[in-house]
Amino acid sequence: MNKYLSIFKISFAQEFAYRLNFILWRARNVMNILVTFFLWSTVFSDPSRSLFGYDRAKILTYVFGVMILRALVLSARAVDVSREISNGDILNLLVRPINYFKYWFTRDIASKALNLGFAAVEFAILYLILRPAFYFQTNIGFLFGFSLMVFLAVFIFFCLLFIVNMIPFWAPNMGWGAQFLIIVVIVEFLSGAIFPIDILPGAVQNFLYATPFPYLVFVPIQVYLGKVSTAFIVKGVLISLFWSVALWIAMNNLWKKGLKAYEGVGK
Amino acid sequence: MDRAIIVDRLVKNFEVTQKEPGFTGAVKSLFSPKKKHVHALKGISFTIQPGELVGFIGPNGAGKTTTLKTLSGLLYPTSGFVEVLEYDPWDRKPEFLKQIALVMGQKNQLWWDLPASETFELNRAIYEIPRREYEENLKEIVDLLEIGKLISTPVRKLSLGQRMRMELTAALLHKPKVLFFDEPTIGLDLIAQQKMRDFIYEYNKKFGATIILTSHNMDDLVNLCRRVIVIDEGRILFDGALDELTEKFAKEKIIKATLSNEGNIADLEKIGKVKKVSMPLVTLSVPRSATAVAASELLQNFPVEDLIIEEIPIEDIIRRVFRGELRGK
Repeated sequence: MNKYLSIFKISFAQEFAYRLNFILWRARNVMNILVTFFLWSTVFSDPSRSLFGYDRAKILTYVFGVMILRALVLSARAVDVSREISNGDILNLLVRPINYFKYWFTRDIASKALNLGFAAVEFAILYLILRPAFYFQTNIGFLFGFSLMVFLAVFIFFCLLFIVNMIPFWAPNMGWGAQFLIIVVIVEFLSGAIFPIDILPGAVQNFLYATPFPYLVFVPIQVYLGKVSTAFIVKGVLISLFWSVALWIAMNNLWKKGLKAYEGVGK
Repeated sequence: MDRAIIVDRLVKNFEVTQKEPGFTGAVKSLFSPKKKHVHALKGISFTIQPGELVGFIGPNGAGKTTTLKTLSGLLYPTSGFVEVLEYDPWDRKPEFLKQIALVMGQKNQLWWDLPASETFELNRAIYEIPRREYEENLKEIVDLLEIGKLISTPVRKLSLGQRMRMELTAALLHKPKVLFFDEPTIGLDLIAQQKMRDFIYEYNKKFGATIILTSHNMDDLVNLCRRVIVIDEGRILFDGALDELTEKFAKEKIIKATLSNEGNIADLEKIGKVKKVSMPLVTLSVPRSATAVAASELLQNFPVEDLIIEEIPIEDIIRRVFRGELRGK
């Protein structure tokens, strides 16, 4: 365990290595929050307007929920894995007695913790200044369901990301393209990070609910907003669990096959 | 355990996708990738005793790095048997990994933006080295390499020579029993090279570690290795003492004669290849088997004051190894 605590610490130190860079990154984050806030405040300037079942308070909460879940679920350090594989840096870790998945998961967690810590402070300050109409969930059941789903979402996204990042084992030059297509385009769209999924036609929604994507962002936020039934939450948790296990197994198998196929010629 | 490393009929084939240059080439290879089979290792066998320091030499692409990677569990052998410290490297068991280290001159494990001490601390945790042992090992290595003042400087601010010494420190904190060095002195200046060599020598002597190193640096081989394995095109051409390399591959010997006058110096060509004339000294190279005949002819027909018969310098042989000139011999 000590090993992974050390990895956590050094990852943290690494994030702070460039202070100016760090400050600019946080400043960009604050700008993002402000732009989003004013955009949606203007769209829903009439407090009684409601679109697709979202009123002003709920759409703002949705949008800010997306921001937080993006920091928590969709941000990860493991995007570097494909580069490590194609340039051979991975070899340095493979000759040391650590578990490669746990190594990257720890680095992810470190990055998420940092992200979330700062985001929470910025958010609190902005909240006090802007006083937006937010929807605060007070029901313990919904909050518990939300936490559980976020926890599973972090894990599902890690597996998905890792699987995509293993492509360079077979095709060394495909790493970036595959990552862009699958992680940036598909995951962003289908997870609800860009727009709420419930504005899509019913048939499409039903199909999506069988995939792991909506459980990364959209479903957890719906649970937080209390827009769903208990049965829906239970079903959602079960589907998330199914995908967690399935993707974990797939990731492990691909890893074993990938290492065997890995050539690292001249690296 | 009387064998630290056993390699038996090791074969490794790669499949490489050929790519033509330019955009059209990239598109073509996307739709119909041209695969090329590379036979990196064609059944090599050798064993290494604990505490030996062995040099791997051969031209680029001979299979040296492939062998080291297979021995450290990074590549899966196509066929054949490999055993290091009685483990199958491919399993990469933690107990095995804790006893080996692979140092690649062109790869770094140090965290670029942080002081090297952070990486050392991380390795302490990864290799589960007890705190006291770690402090002792670190002090010992740091003193040997003279890097005490640099360990709290961010790695990106170090020179290449300083960085390589840090890399070495990071790789040795857990006192590996088996060490693989891939081009440890590449890109270093002469003084840094010497420091690196002294250290490898000391480490081998002090801890009885088994070491394999690959290098294109003549001095590394001549100064460090008593045994060398010459490998070319995936086959072992020679495995034995460095001194025997000359006997095996040098087809000529060198005769150096001091002459009292120039006389019929042009006739020297009849005896052997004239390498150098700087009166009164002439240097000839003659076929190995004809050395005695050549020497006696020289004595009979020329005003010889002094005569020495020498082997071709080992450097010349190694240079020929690197150029791939020993193939098929």
